[in-house]
Amino acid sequence: MGYLELLGSVELFEGASEEELKMLASICRELTYPSGEVITAQGETGDELYIVQVGFVEVIRASASPGVAPRTVVNLGEGQIFGEMALVDHGPRSATIKAASDPTNVLVIHREDFERACEQNHRLGYIVMRNIAADLSFKLRHRNLTGR
Amino acid sequence: MAAIYKVSYVVSGGEHPGAILNTDHRPKKGDVVKLGRKPFQVIEVFDLIPPRGEFRYLHATVKPAESKNSS
Repeated sequence: MGYLELLGSVELFEGASEEELKMLASICRELTYPSGEVITAQGETGDELYIVQVGFVEVIRASASPGVAPRTVVNLGEGQIFGEMALVDHGPRSATIKAASDPTNVLVIHREDFERACEQNHRLGYIVMRNIAADLSFKLRHRNLTGR
Repeated sequence: MAAIYKVSYVVSGGEHPGAILNTDHRPKKGDVVKLGRKPFQVIEVFDLIPPRGEFRYLHATVKPAESKNSS
């Protein structure tokens, strides 16, 4: 699958034109992690948004209660994003993300590049922000169903 | 362009937290899917929210797949 085709299959960019996808491709970089390696850590500051390209990541939350072990709250596979909360609200990372497959490939977009792209093209900014909101909503629905 | 299925997999029973991932086909009852390191069998599928663009949003309930070696 080509790079543009890959970005076109990611919900974050659903609705973006081919020209916009080319621009987004220019600000993405690709990273590979071995299984078990921490990609982001809960509590740290974060300036990057991640897209799972190949494999799975584990989303692990530490408990607020002392003595309670951290637990995996969801696995994210191909096409899913993480790091979006810190990107949008500038707060600390809400969870630890660990590679769960060999290899785990992710695409990374830095906040400054992301914000510049959204400011230069308001249509694209609207599309990406709407898709981030839709993704957060889907994750909440998944969490609600997990707890039923 | 072909549809992309964004699926919320929830594991019935056990401690597995489930998974969210995209697939190029709609999962159906009886399918075996690998979520992370472990295989699971699909026991229920339904549309979670209306489709948008090329994306279809599904929920699937799964259970741990039985080992072929078990008697």
